[in-house]
Amino acid sequence: MSLKIREGEIIFILGTSGTGKSVLLKNLVGLLTPDEGEIWIDDEEVSKFSEEQYLPIRKKCGMVFQHPALFDSLTVFENVAFGLRRHYQLEEKVIREKVEKALRLVHLAGIENKRPGQISYGMQKRVSLARTVALEPRILLFDEPTTGLDPVTTTAVNQLILDLSRELKTTSLVVSHDMNCALSIADRIVVLDKGQIVAQGTPDELKRSEHPLVKDFLSEVLSA
Amino acid sequence: MTFVVSLFDEIGGALLFLQKILRTFFYKKVKTHDVFEQIWKVTYDSFFTTAMAGFFVGAIMTVQFALQMKEFGALGYLGGLATSGTFREVGPLLIAFMLSGKVGAYTSAELGTMKVTEQIDAVRCLGADPIQEIILPRFIGIIVSSFFLLGGGLIMSVFGGMLMGQAFAGVNFEEYLRHVPMIVSPVSILSGLIKCGAFALVLATVCTYKGYTTTGGAKGVGRSVVATAVSTMVCIVIMDWFTSHIGEVILIMVRGYRS
Repeated sequence: MSLKIREGEIIFILGTSGTGKSVLLKNLVGLLTPDEGEIWIDDEEVSKFSEEQYLPIRKKCGMVFQHPALFDSLTVFENVAFGLRRHYQLEEKVIREKVEKALRLVHLAGIENKRPGQISYGMQKRVSLARTVALEPRILLFDEPTTGLDPVTTTAVNQLILDLSRELKTTSLVVSHDMNCALSIADRIVVLDKGQIVAQGTPDELKRSEHPLVKDFLSEVLSA
Repeated sequence: MTFVVSLFDEIGGALLFLQKILRTFFYKKVKTHDVFEQIWKVTYDSFFTTAMAGFFVGAIMTVQFALQMKEFGALGYLGGLATSGTFREVGPLLIAFMLSGKVGAYTSAELGTMKVTEQIDAVRCLGADPIQEIILPRFIGIIVSSFFLLGGGLIMSVFGGMLMGQAFAGVNFEEYLRHVPMIVSPVSILSGLIKCGAFALVLATVCTYKGYTTTGGAKGVGRSVVATAVSTMVCIVIMDWFTSHIGEVILIMVRGYRS
């Protein structure tokens, strides 16, 4: 597949399970190594990078995982501060400010001392988002950010993605099954099937697509 | 054939993983606070179990030796021989088995869960090395604490042996302990320590490797835990033969006779 993402764009990758959406994201941040092909981030071809070479890439590409992936033994504050402590040499005061700011962005101020086990799954997902946002990455990668959430929290998380992209001027790449959300906030939608791009375009262009998979996704939205 | 290939694949994978851990140990900063936390956790969690096991092993060894030695009228040597056997062989082996069931399974499940819930991926994305942050403290923790547990277990085994000697063979405590310093030589103690270190190395490598390479959700975690329990038991027994054999060869080379 060949995909070019423009700076500042919110792009949704849709597709059925097992088509390689998460693999695509993991390849971008070097969690997986592609068998073949090239990955360019800014002006660098990163597909053959070592773990050490990937560190600066991971500073600018923040990833929000499908699971909250919070560290159980750490408090919410320590979880959000984790990346800041590893990626940057910052004073404790600066770290505290950045953590509080990130938690405010996800509307979770005041839960710094709680542990992941003491907050709901939806809150854990938002803390996970705060942990990534605290690093102020230029590119945000979301792996099914609303899976397992109730409709109210789903709407809140989607709004959050939109707000963050606009406020922090980040490029957002969202892997999702949620066509409804994609149609409302995406600048561009890419539909994957068996590792190949079968359709892509703006939400309006996608609505006119004749591809059966796109029609399937759209019919779910219409029936809803 | 597939089994043989996958067996070699696993052995190779575990050895490469061990190489990665050792490289991290020698070339990167060890998180001492986390290491001490792990040592405390493993020792605290397993001390009672291993101490109890040690107590009963000492008791069993004494009963078994007493049955044989009564016939030769050599009960005076009961304490020395039972303690020597426990220190050299049974103690380290049994404590390794206990640890593999308790610490090995726990570590494998913990790391496996971290893997399938993407916590390990998150560590990498947040600029840290999971081997340095997560694996190495657990690895060192298991190895160091196994020596403490061995010490505790062996002391308890002497108590168990003393009680059984008194109750079963009528050997009083003083008599039981009299030949211990003579029969339990520094070589016996060294042999036990080497075995303990070797078993702990095997256990720490297998459980961290199986946990770290877990795939396939909750089912995968279950598979890893079972595989850890089975693999560590098999590897510990093989390592036992290996250390005994190599130990004997070295002793013959150094001293010119068998120990």
